[in-house]
Amino acid sequence: MQRVVESDVCIIGAGITAAMVAAKLADERDARVVVVEAGGDPPPIAARFSHRQRWLDYEENPWPADHVASQDVEGRPMGYSPSMQVGGLAMHWGAVTPRFSPEDMKVRSTYGVGTDWPLDYEELDPFYQEAEERIGVAGVQGAPDLDPRSGAYPMPPLPLTYNLVRLKEWVEKTGVPFWAMPSAKNSIPYDGRVECCRNETCSPICPIGAKYSPDSTFYALRDRNRIDLVTNTLVRRLVLAPGGGRIERAVALDRAHPDEPVEFRATTFVLAGGFVWVSHLLLLSAADGFPEGLANSSGLVGKYLAGHRGVNAYVELPMEIYPGMNRQHSLISKHWMKDGPRDRYLRHDFRVWESDYGRTPRLQDESGTILLGDEMMADWRARATSGMGTARLRCYYDVIPDRTSELTLDQGFTNDWGDPLPRVRFRDSEASRRLRAYSEERIGRLFGEFARAGDGKLLRVAPSDAQEHPGGGCRMGDDPAQSVVDKWGRSHDHENLFVVGAPTLPTTSCTNGTLTFAALGLHSAAEIGREFPERKSAQDP
Amino acid sequence: MANGSDRRTFLKQGAASAASLLVLSSCARPEAGRETNPGLDPALLGAVGDAVLPSDLGRDGKKRVVAGFETWLEGYRPVPELMHGYGSQEIRYGPGDPGPRWSSQLAALDLEARKRWGVGFAEIESARRLEMIRRRLAGADLQRLPNPTRVQHVAAALLAYWLATPEATNLCYRRNINPLTCRPLIVSPEEPAPLDAREG
Repeated sequence: MQRVVESDVCIIGAGITAAMVAAKLADERDARVVVVEAGGDPPPIAARFSHRQRWLDYEENPWPADHVASQDVEGRPMGYSPSMQVGGLAMHWGAVTPRFSPEDMKVRSTYGVGTDWPLDYEELDPFYQEAEERIGVAGVQGAPDLDPRSGAYPMPPLPLTYNLVRLKEWVEKTGVPFWAMPSAKNSIPYDGRVECCRNETCSPICPIGAKYSPDSTFYALRDRNRIDLVTNTLVRRLVLAPGGGRIERAVALDRAHPDEPVEFRATTFVLAGGFVWVSHLLLLSAADGFPEGLANSSGLVGKYLAGHRGVNAYVELPMEIYPGMNRQHSLISKHWMKDGPRDRYLRHDFRVWESDYGRTPRLQDESGTILLGDEMMADWRARATSGMGTARLRCYYDVIPDRTSELTLDQGFTNDWGDPLPRVRFRDSEASRRLRAYSEERIGRLFGEFARAGDGKLLRVAPSDAQEHPGGGCRMGDDPAQSVVDKWGRSHDHENLFVVGAPTLPTTSCTNGTLTFAALGLHSAAEIGREFPERKSAQDP
Repeated sequence: MANGSDRRTFLKQGAASAASLLVLSSCARPEAGRETNPGLDPALLGAVGDAVLPSDLGRDGKKRVVAGFETWLEGYRPVPELMHGYGSQEIRYGPGDPGPRWSSQLAALDLEARKRWGVGFAEIESARRLEMIRRRLAGADLQRLPNPTRVQHVAAALLAYWLATPEATNLCYRRNINPLTCRPLIVSPEEPAPLDAREG
């Protein structure tokens, strides 16, 4: 027997962007909101300490069964995670929350590469602020010209550790300002969650809930009867209303009862499944009039997949560093996000961590001699407490995607229910391809300059192939021929269909993207909500 | 036609098969597994610990570490689903129960000691124990220590277990760094205090 779930707004996916959209709609609008998640529930807070311990002890996944077995991706896209559960990949995240820079939204008009976004930083600023307040971000105002913001962070920054204080003194010898990386970790009790106590396992699991994870938002909304949360339910198709461009329903599969069809009917549909599964669902939903997939009259669904690449380095410095004080906290500078060269496009962030590189214990030295007992300890101590310390540096640099950086359906690779699965291939634009070696060389040289400024030594430079914090596939724009959605995430083809968060990004900047995904989700929610009456008070039942 | 679950199932089965082969080859007991594994010989393991753990720990400290290692091994669930790191879509699985392999290694050390010196491994002097273990570890790549479950020899596994603890880091630096433990934020900017002489 078919089950039909009706609502005003049906949000498909339960990650961090979905949490922002659901929370804003539930707080501000009188609308029935349903959130559909293909995965199940994560372990409750009370169980997370033991899950963390088993991860530390045995490397076990602290989020067991956080994926749908056959829902896989061909092409090994870096930055993709199989995580499907309430909270999505943001159950694992490191919870660092830098904003993008104003320049990120106008790379074409400023640098002549890529595509300008259809909105600017000033328009997004209040939604960044709202995201920081809803998530709970601890931060300090960076250099104002590099880190513009109209409001204060909701929490004071996580204090710098002894190590980071020393490292800040070093990097600022170059004259470039660095500051504490803003983080979605409680520096004080916030929103019913406790203060961080430096367990150092933020990614993959905070055992005490001091790190924001979206499950807390969904469960709070559900407990207040503001949303219905439907889990273990995989949406397989969107279906158009007869004779029109509106989406009528989402056809889904209840994984616990696969023989009982379920469908979701709603006034508005919001796709919040991240950069892979949103494009995948649209392509799967091909229909009369949309043979290449819904929302795809531009032919751009699944195109322009984007992600920044990084260059890592380790530097030895004449200072005592004590690894393990808070390895997941760092310094950031956005100096090079603002002032890139105009002739050869290169913009990047710059982060600094404590490190134990070259100073970890070992049972064998370079000559192959086995070290045990006191010899082992003496060897470790000599390397660790020599008066020299190690820092880890990393710059993400912006990579402009090519149109053929894409997700397609692989008809030869299906899930347990016969649906073709996605094949993903990242590809740089011609400009970024030409600039890759230059970018990596220039960043490596910068690391060397920093090392010398601290009388240190560059130990290792390692460019990475990974394209991290990926987005795109349904990029936003004003021109329906050149984009999939408008600046609100509304499909150019279907007025009641929104795509939110990562898939809408035309480019993905050169710093962590999650806060921007969340802010864009809130920006979309403001538009989605206009169709529904205002709620008199956020506290109304 | 390929199926999305085939690859993951294959990987899991592969890991399980490899683990089974390892167990079978190391102890030739088809029924060996966590449920039937009698654990490691405490006297032999204690003798290994006494030889390979640093003297900074003291006699009682070494015993405590060995006991902790035994408890840790008892808690292992073979072929666990491992953490999939950020940017990695592969679902990976851990090894089978290393207990039988380690148990047979302890037995081999004991047998060798009895053949060479007429007494068990636990009875020979520490220098000889160290020498025997050193020879067993020769040829292994021990410059980096993985999780103990993936370490071949029990002596190296015991060290890998202990070296991952906050206690080991504190002893190395002779400071109360206490990595991976719950610590107040407010004292983050302070240099970690020296270990009390009694703690050291």
